[in-house]
Amino acid sequence: MRWRRMLVAVCALLLAACAVPHQRDDAKPDKIAAREAEVADVLRGYREVRNSAAELLDSKPLSTVETGALLAIDTGSFEVSQRLAQTQELETGRVEVTDMATPRFSKYPLWFYAVVRDRALGVNRVQIFERTSSADPWLLTSSPQALADTSLPEVRRRKGAAVRVAADDATGMSMSAQAVAESYAAALAEPAAGASADIADDSFIQQMRSTAATNAGLEGVDFSQTWEAERVRYALRTADGGALVFVTFLRQDTDTVPDGLKITWPEGSPQQAFLSGGIEDSGQLNYYHQVLIHLPGGNGKPRALGQYGGVVSGDGGASSIR
Amino acid sequence: MRTTSGWAVSALGVLLALLGAAVMVFLGPDSRVTTGPHPIETDDIAVVVAPGAIRWADLQVDVLVEVPVRKPVFIGIGNAVDVQDFVGKTGRLEVTGFRHPWDLTMREVDGEPNLPGAPTALDWWIDSAAGLGGASISTQLPDETVSIAVLSVGSSNLAGLEVTLAYGVKGGFTKGLALLLLGVELAWLGFLRWRRRPERATVDGYVDEDAVEEEVVYVFVDEDGVEHEVGEDELSKFEIVDEEGKP
Repeated sequence: MRWRRMLVAVCALLLAACAVPHQRDDAKPDKIAAREAEVADVLRGYREVRNSAAELLDSKPLSTVETGALLAIDTGSFEVSQRLAQTQELETGRVEVTDMATPRFSKYPLWFYAVVRDRALGVNRVQIFERTSSADPWLLTSSPQALADTSLPEVRRRKGAAVRVAADDATGMSMSAQAVAESYAAALAEPAAGASADIADDSFIQQMRSTAATNAGLEGVDFSQTWEAERVRYALRTADGGALVFVTFLRQDTDTVPDGLKITWPEGSPQQAFLSGGIEDSGQLNYYHQVLIHLPGGNGKPRALGQYGGVVSGDGGASSIR
Repeated sequence: MRTTSGWAVSALGVLLALLGAAVMVFLGPDSRVTTGPHPIETDDIAVVVAPGAIRWADLQVDVLVEVPVRKPVFIGIGNAVDVQDFVGKTGRLEVTGFRHPWDLTMREVDGEPNLPGAPTALDWWIDSAAGLGGASISTQLPDETVSIAVLSVGSSNLAGLEVTLAYGVKGGFTKGLALLLLGVELAWLGFLRWRRRPERATVDGYVDEDAVEEEVVYVFVDEDGVEHEVGEDELSKFEIVDEEGKP
């Protein structure tokens, strides 16, 4: 009898391991942007290229792993380092990912979110990698930095995928992600604008207003500053019903100098690297700022949690870099 | 009750055995059904299965594509989002429906005469292969919407394309055999249970199929200690000194 019992057990085990073919009810095409292993590979690859560029003090390799405003910011940063004979920081520690969220998509472009801790700088890099088409590589498009002790809101997930928010969707929030971007730009450009009442007076706004006030304080110089928000492409639903919004702003600082005066910047400053000859008539410095904004659920005001930015080009100076 | 359960177990065993035998006969010793090679008339550079045409999951699929004169050819299976984006702007023959054993519904889609990149350089294929004159893939369909793409590599096209398709269950023949043996064993156990049924005992016309028949034996022990069986009608002649089963 023992052999018969073993036979039954073997048969049952064989059948238990059987994946029974079945027809799927839902044939709608969709996919999660990237699996965890793929995210790890992308982050590792980015780190390698970034370190290579830093060692060479050459931004060209970055174009294989970055794009858009972020590439412009980093290229500007490398140009400043080259002109001022400075070095770029190398990241030698292991890639420490504290959170990642991969949304589900029915078509390209695909993107995912990862929070990478930089212990040396004491910041969390909140990064968005995007793949614009199936034949393109993953490129880093946004990388605002938040202080390590800044609490980032939890991203809402459904069926293992992060939930996205459309740029014009204001469901459950005081305004849509695109409206946040535009209100923020309006508040930065004009502190007295009505939009200032709709957003929190956070440290980023205070810092930008303080810088603008300093620049405008030059005697005899006509200073003007404009802010423009790009179209919001990345927004994730947070567990509180709000949204985590990635906004890129173009900031343009224009100085008009009367005859006989000249503006110069301190040695070693990014402005000096881009307008090394100073401004004698009129000059403009262009900046990109990538800002991470939390728009709380309900009627809460949006607040910036982190930012990354810098000079990307200068125009109109005695020797300018575009 | 015992008879009913015995029949039920036997019937279940027979059904399982028949199912196992059917699986073995349908799939054969190689655990798959093969059809082809089938010619596909096209001079495009891509033949793609549209999203929704493949609705199965966990099915083992082997596809062999062959082209004449050792032309380079590529075959890959990937998530439909990836495949459709890759071939979306390319002129192609699209397979919109498939019925067993080989009945294809197809349509021509206009587009550019080239692909946006080399398919061999992409990392999102679930399974893929490239070769001169032929290439094949063998994969288990995942639980997601997938597309299969046959692509021409280089400057040639897919004229003369032939496709051989095999589908089945990995280890299906062995699993069918296991099902057959399990069914036979169950049928046998059910039969044994049914055969060992007790004789029907009736009390006041009530039939108790689960009643256990008890046989009472009367024994007479002589002076030498030897036991002799006696009938119930002879009991009055003896003195009862021990009665088993009585407390």
